[in-house]
This record gives sequence, C-alpha cells and structure tokens, in this order.
Amino acid sequence: MNDGKKKIPVREGLWTTPAARDEKPQLIGSRCNKCGEVFFPKKDLSICSNCQSTNLDDITLSSKGKIYSYSVVMQRPPEYYKGDVPYAIGFVELPEGVRIETLFTGCNAEDLKIGMDVEMVIEKLQEDEAGNEILAYKFKPCQI
Amino acid sequence: MKKMREVFVAGVGITKFDIYDGQKGRPLKEFYDLGSEAILRALKDAGMEWKDIQEAFCASVYCGTAAGHQTIEKIGMTGIPIVNIENACSSGSSAFRLAYQAIAAELYDVVIAVGFETSPRGFIKSTSWPEWQRKMGFNVQPAAYAMATVRYMQETGATEEDFARVTVKNRQNGTLNPNARFQKPVTLEEVLASRMVAKPLRLLHACPLADGGIAVILCSRGKLKSKTHTVTVAASILTSGTYGHVHGGGSVKIHTPHTIDVSMKQAWEMSGYGPKDMDVVQAYDTMAPGELWDLEKMGFCEKGEAPRLLREGYFDLSGKLPVNTDGGLMSRGHPLGATALAQIVEIYRQIRGEAGARQVPGAKIGLAHAMGAGPNSSIAILER
Repeated sequence: MNDGKKKIPVREGLWTTPAARDEKPQLIGSRCNKCGEVFFPKKDLSICSNCQSTNLDDITLSSKGKIYSYSVVMQRPPEYYKGDVPYAIGFVELPEGVRIETLFTGCNAEDLKIGMDVEMVIEKLQEDEAGNEILAYKFKPCQI
Repeated sequence: MKKMREVFVAGVGITKFDIYDGQKGRPLKEFYDLGSEAILRALKDAGMEWKDIQEAFCASVYCGTAAGHQTIEKIGMTGIPIVNIENACSSGSSAFRLAYQAIAAELYDVVIAVGFETSPRGFIKSTSWPEWQRKMGFNVQPAAYAMATVRYMQETGATEEDFARVTVKNRQNGTLNPNARFQKPVTLEEVLASRMVAKPLRLLHACPLADGGIAVILCSRGKLKSKTHTVTVAASILTSGTYGHVHGGGSVKIHTPHTIDVSMKQAWEMSGYGPKDMDVVQAYDTMAPGELWDLEKMGFCEKGEAPRLLREGYFDLSGKLPVNTDGGLMSRGHPLGATALAQIVEIYRQIRGEAGARQVPGAKIGLAHAMGAGPNSSIAILER
C-alpha cells in the first residue's frame, strides 16, 4: 500500500486527466446535437434539459473565458467548504456558450470585473480527514 | 386557466414572528405550538369551528416528517386529509394554492392553509446544492443574490445605497407592525456600515430568520359566516422554474421567459387585472436588491426604474404603490414555511381596512409575490 497522500477531484468527471505531461486538463461538458445547448458538468443522464433530445455528445471546453458575474463571500459557508475565507466565486462564460459557476484564484478580490479574461486551473481546494488533497477547478486572471 | 368556482378568504390568524428558543428570557415554543395558535386565531377571525374544516395543507421547511399532523393533533384529529408541504420559501403560498384549488374545483367548501417554522438553530443544511458544489462553497444564498446583484448594478446603474433604501423603507414600515420580529427603524448609514456578507451585500441587506405560525381559512361563498368586507381570491399561481435561468448565471444562448414572467402572465390572465390595478403589493425582499428587480419583473415599472422610484417615495406607505407595508421579510423575519402566507395575510388585512397604523387608505386589490429555491414563483391576488 502506498501511504502517501492522494489527490482526489472534488467530483469525478469534471475535467480530463491528460496522459502527457505538457497537456493541460480541460473541463468536460455535454453538447446537445439538436438545439446546440452546452452543459457543464457533462450530463450524467443523457437528455438535453432544454429540448429533451437524447442526442448528446461529451465535449472538452475552452480553458479561457470571461467573467459574467462575481461575489466575495465574507463568512464561512455552513458545511463542507474548508478553504480560506473570504473567497471569491462567480460565473465564467466560455466560448462554447456555457456559463459555469467557479471559484477564483490568483487575484485580489478587488480586481475582479465583469468581462475580465480568466483561465482555468486545477488547484487544491482543501484536505479531507485522511489528509488527502481535494482538487477543484478554479479560474484565475489571464497573464497579460 | 379554466374559470372555476369563486373562492373566499374567510379568516386569518398569525402569531408574532420572533425567536422562540427559550434563551435570554424568550419563551420556548415549538412549531406545533405556533401553528396551532395561528389556527385557533384564524377560526376565531372566520367565526368558524374546527369541525368546519374539511382539509388542511400544512407548510414548513425544517420541521420534519408529518409536521402538520403534529400541529393539528394539538387541536384535534377529525379524520380530514392533512397534507404536508415543503416548497422552500414558496411553501406557504403553495399550501394556499392547494386550498384554493380544492374549493375552486368544488371538492371541499372549507379548507385551511397553515404555515409554521421554528428555524433551525445554528447551521442550516443547504441541501438544494449537490455535495460537490457545497464543497466548492457555492451554497451561500446571499452570494447567489450578490452575483445577480453585481449584474443588476452593471445593467441598471443601481448602487449599494439604493439597496440600503429598501431596508430602510421596510424597517420603517415594520415599526407599525406589532407582529414583526424587528420593530425598530434603521438608517441608511447603519445599513451601509453593517458587516459585509457577500460583496456587495451586507448584513442589513438580508432579511433575518424568525419563528412563527400562520393560518388562512378559505371557503366557498355559502360557507362565509359574515357577508360584509368579503375577500375573494382573484388569482393564485405557482410557477416552478423555466429552462435557462440560474440564480446569478444561467444559459448563454437559450432565452426562455423567466419564472416570474410566466407566473405574472398567468396571474394577470386569471384575475383580469394588470399592474396599474394593484393598490398594495408584497414583493419578495429576502435580500434588499431582490425587491427592486422583483417589482420590475412583475411589471410595476421598467427595468432599472425601481431604484429611482424608491428614492422618490413611490413605494412608501404614503406613495403611489405601497410595497411591503408590514415591513416585509426584512422586518417581519423569515420563517421559511410561513413567510409566503404572511404576505397574503397582509394583503387581506389591507383590503379589509384592518391594517391599523400602516393602513393604505382605500386599498381594494393587492398582490403578494414569493420566490423560493427550486426556483418557485408564487402569486396571490386578493380583492374585496
């Protein structure tokens, strides 16, 4: 048995795990082939929530998007979340036409603005009881 | 919607909204104490006896299994159907709508809608988010409102101060409501100096929790004990979600009518009225900015116009369209299962001329709107 600490995603199937070292993970969504609506996370039940078509494909989503809205949470949520407080959350709009809720990282909360260019990273969210690292996707401001 | 039998509000009962936890000299009361007290008051108000009630719809969110049965057991089990309802913050109005339906469809002649809550002490389990999203820290209701607020500010130019004015207005109205949890006014400065909860929203932009009980008896014309000052239900509507709308986010490409748009359209169709006919409105002010965009979405003004109208006193008790005349959720407090019925009770009191110091002179028609997680959008229009 390996007694080293494991890295565990906050939920399976949110992003890809590339085999090659130089490739970056990408978020996984679903696209409806009838109405074109895109979903994140990918739909477990293969039905489009907009048009109810069952013709859906998994797709990888762009890692860069724009901030649609944001907030800075100043108090600890009632349960589960064990990260830093305050923390910044918001919605990011991706070019595929899906708006996803996310945590922000690598920026001052005061700098967040609607329309800001951001990119996706996989980062430690918190540790579980056994000391394993729980990983989550987050967005950070793009390097200029 | 099909036109059915006319439905009347026969009587209402309400307890003071407060914290009944037995601490610091406050009385200890359970949800069934508050619910049963409210039922007895409603029976008295309607001039009815418990044996007149043919069905009961009981709304609560955190009171557990068969909470309505536990409440009614205090008064007496009579074999009538008791149905428990959990529909988030629209639970009370959902109970009201079911009672309305039962009478409109001529299934029964006298039905009671009850709402009660002893809000959980300490942490509230937010089960309306999946577990991974709770781990990500998304399960913060004020933050969901905050993200919608940041968009609203960008699109309309509204400011933090505008939102603070909602609190100031409602807390002022609350000083005239002996049933409200908070009966002290607050100033603009106090709201803007209160602690930040989720940027840009502060503690005093948020409504407080409360415990409380409330009951509304609905009946057919023939069962009314008094034929003076009768109140009819002009509309009772519940819409649960339309595709593409997420609190603060949503679909980029698909633009369906918002849940509120759908429920309003149905309410105007059912009642035959429009926004200009309303004399008094109870809007949904769980977070202060929500009242502003709620009034806009309901069609009482154009998008982005509500902050200016608020500044001009349009929504004040003495204004052209008084909104949240009893202090709203902001003063009354928010016992989740009871809240939407409390809004309906305030409309009932106003159009019967029984609202005391906060009476809107000559009010004849009024509307109550509640939202709720899910989402839900529920509307009741009452008229005399």
